[in-house]
Amino acid sequence: MNPVSYLVFLVFFVSSRYAGLEIGVAAENARQIVEESQRRTDAKSQRYEGLLQVFDAKGKISDKRWNIDRLGSHGDSKVVLRFTAPAEVKGVALLIVNHTDRASDQWMWTPATERDRRIALQDRETRFFGTDFSFEDLEERDVNQYEYSLLGDEAVDGVACWKIQSAPKQSKSSQYSRSHVWIRKDNYALARVENFLKDQVVRRLVYSDLANIQGIWTARTLEMSDLRRGSRTRLSLEKLQYNVPMKDEDFTLQAIRRQ
Amino acid sequence: MKHLLAVLLITALPQAIRAQAISQRGFVEGIGAYFPQDAPNDSVNVTGDLLVREELVVKPASWIQFAAGGDFRANSHDQVDNSWRVDFSDRGRLRPALSVRRLSATISKGGLTLDAGKQFIRWGRTDIVTPTDWFAPRDFLNVMDNEFLPVTGIRAGVRFGVDTIEAAWDRFTPSRTPLVNQRWVVPPPGPPVAFTALDPTFPQGSQAGIRWNHAGSRLEYAFAFFDGFNHLPNIDVLPTFRPGEVAIQPHYPSLRSYGGDAAVPTPWFTIKVESAYFTSTTPRSDEYVLYVVQLERQSGEWSFIGGYAGEHVTQNRALLTFAPDRGLTRAIVGRASYTVDVNRSVAFEAAVRQNGDGEYLKVEYSQARGAHWRATLGGALIRGEPDDFIGQYSRNSHVTLALRYSF
Repeated sequence: MNPVSYLVFLVFFVSSRYAGLEIGVAAENARQIVEESQRRTDAKSQRYEGLLQVFDAKGKISDKRWNIDRLGSHGDSKVVLRFTAPAEVKGVALLIVNHTDRASDQWMWTPATERDRRIALQDRETRFFGTDFSFEDLEERDVNQYEYSLLGDEAVDGVACWKIQSAPKQSKSSQYSRSHVWIRKDNYALARVENFLKDQVVRRLVYSDLANIQGIWTARTLEMSDLRRGSRTRLSLEKLQYNVPMKDEDFTLQAIRRQ
Repeated sequence: MKHLLAVLLITALPQAIRAQAISQRGFVEGIGAYFPQDAPNDSVNVTGDLLVREELVVKPASWIQFAAGGDFRANSHDQVDNSWRVDFSDRGRLRPALSVRRLSATISKGGLTLDAGKQFIRWGRTDIVTPTDWFAPRDFLNVMDNEFLPVTGIRAGVRFGVDTIEAAWDRFTPSRTPLVNQRWVVPPPGPPVAFTALDPTFPQGSQAGIRWNHAGSRLEYAFAFFDGFNHLPNIDVLPTFRPGEVAIQPHYPSLRSYGGDAAVPTPWFTIKVESAYFTSTTPRSDEYVLYVVQLERQSGEWSFIGGYAGEHVTQNRALLTFAPDRGLTRAIVGRASYTVDVNRSVAFEAAVRQNGDGEYLKVEYSQARGAHWRATLGGALIRGEPDDFIGQYSRNSHVTLALRYSF
């Protein structure tokens, strides 16, 4: 799995259904750790309101708000993201159809032009609405799309973590050559992700404000730093719910035209 | 229909308020434009526009939603009809001061979606020139900076997996053509001629179309058929009893069109093609094919669109038309934009006719401030020969400054 993709819908990436239980899998096996982390975040659906705060080197420069509905999880899911603020982007919507075996399909609906537009594969490294998240970072990927290796143990903010390297398989197109992922040993929640272009870390994602929500450990604050630009974007998850009843028909191109 | 929709919307309000299912968006925008050169029939160099737009969406239940929206406009150059009535039809020569921009109901159940009322219907996939976008008339009072007009009708779509069949029926809405006494109508060379605009002849009857769209992972395509009228007019030039004056009367020919579009995403760029064949039973109307081939590419914060728009005339029968869609064909067209940061962007758009007789370059810099304000500085440079669609506007290069407060 590409941990980076775990940023936005990430909540479940950051979670453990059985908080406090000691690990029952072979901790030394990187893939098993990632699988367990994913298993503990399974949910039929997810809904939250997100606050995006973009900071440049001088301080905060922009706030954006969105609502997210996700049906399914872990690669076999659909997501509708809709901006609610500021007023000039209100109604802009993104439909993401994730696949377990290939890159997601993404379309954007813009009310001002009354048209949808497919986000092409080569567009995925583009920053999403000027934030430090790229379109690829919004994807949710399956554990099977990456190769893993355990790099060792390393604490993040005093919490013991496994440090794991993930690299995309050949069948998976990604802007990142590899990623380093820190997974907490106490609850299998993600703690930090660093994404590499060749040998350079280009984006760092830090998970914080962990809470147990409906049995799933969830980071309610995610901060993505673009190390080349010196900017960062903080995503705060509000009113988060899991397993909300949702209909498949609300995750279509026709549906994102509606408010 | 408009009264019924208005009543339904008002009826649905209390329930929607209880369900907190109301959303609103709007803006106030002032635009100033400066044209450095006088035009033969228009010596006004500075114009000002004010637009207030408000849109409301009410969703009383998950399967139904109502949308309403309106515009208030004012203009310093007599482009707005200042009579205090609410316009619903968008058939006037001038922009209405008060108009209904949207008044529609949307019902969705399973794979079926039904939209009824005043709405926007956009078909096609390409940009700048879109040959199958038949339900999308435009306001061309400023030919270079035009905007879409809504239509009144019904659209029904049925989804089967990744395929959708969409049918649309609407009452004809014409594009708003440039005013005869202003710079976007260019008088022919020679002795000065005064124009008188006669009321247009609108076609009787409605128009309809059907589109099958496939949105697959590796290929998107659509086939479309349209039977109705061209929202861009043929123009009759008639003599009057006053010397040095001619009358201009637009009329809208029948139009039947067969078209399709496709998009193929590749790892390097996205290829988009769109084409349509137009026939007409109206005498003195051309029959022709429009086609567009374009490539799209995103590179970092740059976005590029470039391609060729072509035309092949199979029956050349028209004497005088106002056809910006055809006027932008036989040309290389391109658009590029750069996102500076979350608040700032720059965009460029250009078209160059293949015979070199006309070209334009538009540049736009936009900057947001806070959560509500955005300023946009733009400019258009137009060059070419008087007998070319683009080139005829060579005295209309201009600079604009827009200030928008969104709420």
